[in-house]
Amino acid sequence: MTLIPALAVGVLFGCGAFLLLKPDLFRIVAGIVLVAHAANIALISSGLERGQSPIHPLAEGPVSDPLVQALTITALVIGFAVTALLLCLAYGIYVSSKTVDLDDLSHAEARDERELEREEVSV
Amino acid sequence: MSPAIPLLLPWAAAAALALADGQRRLVGWLAAAALASTFALLCVLAGEVFTEGPRQIVAGDWAPGVGIVLRADALGALFAALSVGVLLAAFVHELLKGGQGRLFPALVLFLCTGLVGLFLTGDVFNFYVFFELTMIASYILAAYGGQGRELRAGFVFAVVNLLGSFLFLLGVAAVYHVTGTLEMQAVAARIRDAEPSAVVLIAVFFFVAFGVKLGLFPFHFWLPPVYASARPGVAAMLSGAVANVGSYGLLRFGADILPAELRLGAGVLLVLGTASILYGALQAVSRRSVSEVLAYSAIGQAGYVLIALGIGGTVGLAAAVIYTIVNSLNKTLLFLAIDLRGWLVGAAFVVGAFSVAGVPPTAGFFGKLALFQAGIDEGSVALVALIFVGGALSFVYMFQIYQHDFWRPDASGTPPAERGPRSSLALRAPTFAVAAIVVALGVLPEPLLVAGREAAQALGAIAS
Repeated sequence: MTLIPALAVGVLFGCGAFLLLKPDLFRIVAGIVLVAHAANIALISSGLERGQSPIHPLAEGPVSDPLVQALTITALVIGFAVTALLLCLAYGIYVSSKTVDLDDLSHAEARDERELEREEVSV
Repeated sequence: MSPAIPLLLPWAAAAALALADGQRRLVGWLAAAALASTFALLCVLAGEVFTEGPRQIVAGDWAPGVGIVLRADALGALFAALSVGVLLAAFVHELLKGGQGRLFPALVLFLCTGLVGLFLTGDVFNFYVFFELTMIASYILAAYGGQGRELRAGFVFAVVNLLGSFLFLLGVAAVYHVTGTLEMQAVAARIRDAEPSAVVLIAVFFFVAFGVKLGLFPFHFWLPPVYASARPGVAAMLSGAVANVGSYGLLRFGADILPAELRLGAGVLLVLGTASILYGALQAVSRRSVSEVLAYSAIGQAGYVLIALGIGGTVGLAAAVIYTIVNSLNKTLLFLAIDLRGWLVGAAFVVGAFSVAGVPPTAGFFGKLALFQAGIDEGSVALVALIFVGGALSFVYMFQIYQHDFWRPDASGTPPAERGPRSSLALRAPTFAVAAIVVALGVLPEPLLVAGREAAQALGAIAS
């Protein structure tokens, strides 16, 4: 039973890590989203057990663990807020540099650095 | 006093001020008043904790073991008071300088809430929630109002630290799976009986998460662009208050919850700490821009904390606490001082520079002294030599930058004092206050040493 969530976590984390290495801002954001979901599934499967719904158990027998669900929904909300923030940052970079390609951005970075150096030298 | 009061005050103030226009002076000063009263409350709380022992409440009056625990012990109360004090000085500085954005006061208060919450929580998952609150506020502050360069630095900062946060969350999930609880004290008690291979993995997750936050050597690459491109007040907040999260996390999760794994990984900590110290110091020596020098210096200083942790024991942990306090004050002082011009500003910078290099009569001397003691206790010549070399290199880079920025006229022949407008006395006041504290702790080190010892003993108390 724990094999399926474990595989899901592994695949999600792997895809997320792969996307994080892509030279494109929006793919990086997507990578972070996948890694976040890998963590969420790990969280929910850390207390995975069969049982009755904990809000009102009717018969005798095991009750499933409600805590992990509360944790996961908190983590989901945080992940959602963080994704929105990252997209805002990526959009801000797009507006100021007119590109979302990391190679172009690092060229711009190097240009800024050189200008700073020149100012330093002239100082 | 209940630990909930200093947590709820900035939270309510942040939520209320988020709706107001932060560019108005009144809103800014209300936020400063909220920060100041939080700081005062935390000082009272820390006093109580130091004299009468830890304070604990369970949220919502649930039975212990069911509800979420807020727990103020010596280490948590000390770090909370220190971080909020740093935030207060940096915020007043930015406020007097003016030109901050609409949301700036509310963001700083959210940052304060997150920091107080994570230092005073006794629950692993609650720690994660406050950790994210702190980090989200710092991502926004780092990139706030910036153009291309700041946004790019902010984006890298956010992505790398989010990856660290999610690794931490995976660690939390593993802790819950292994121990069936999230309350720190219960986790510490139960994890000793858990399967060692699982616990080592958890320890690695936590170490990487806090290493990223602290800017340790292999995880440091996001740090210099962020510190160099942020406004000086914000850089002071990040390096003086937010970086404490990394040290606190390593102390709390390493020494308190996973002491056996900390001993197991001591060799790794010493190697990475050494790498951080040398890398940070050598990079700092080769830089000419003052904020870059300070950023690389922050990487080096994080290495000392790691070394002290690697040595361990009460002496090593006390050295880690003392060094974190001293380093946080130094970085705040230096980042604020580089933003100023005028009478005595150079003196304030020199106080910070002396303190980084560990020259008396500044607090930095006692930070280095504690490290030397820990190194001698360990009986390792190499460690003592490393601490000495690191100190000598920091002396070189601090004074190089001091000479460059405060002594030499620039190409057009303008003397440094006339580069830019002279700062008003009120604007210089927060910096002078921090400088006065650094000197005072260097002359009368007793509170610093007692605080370090008490905090280190509080850590041992749970572990044993």
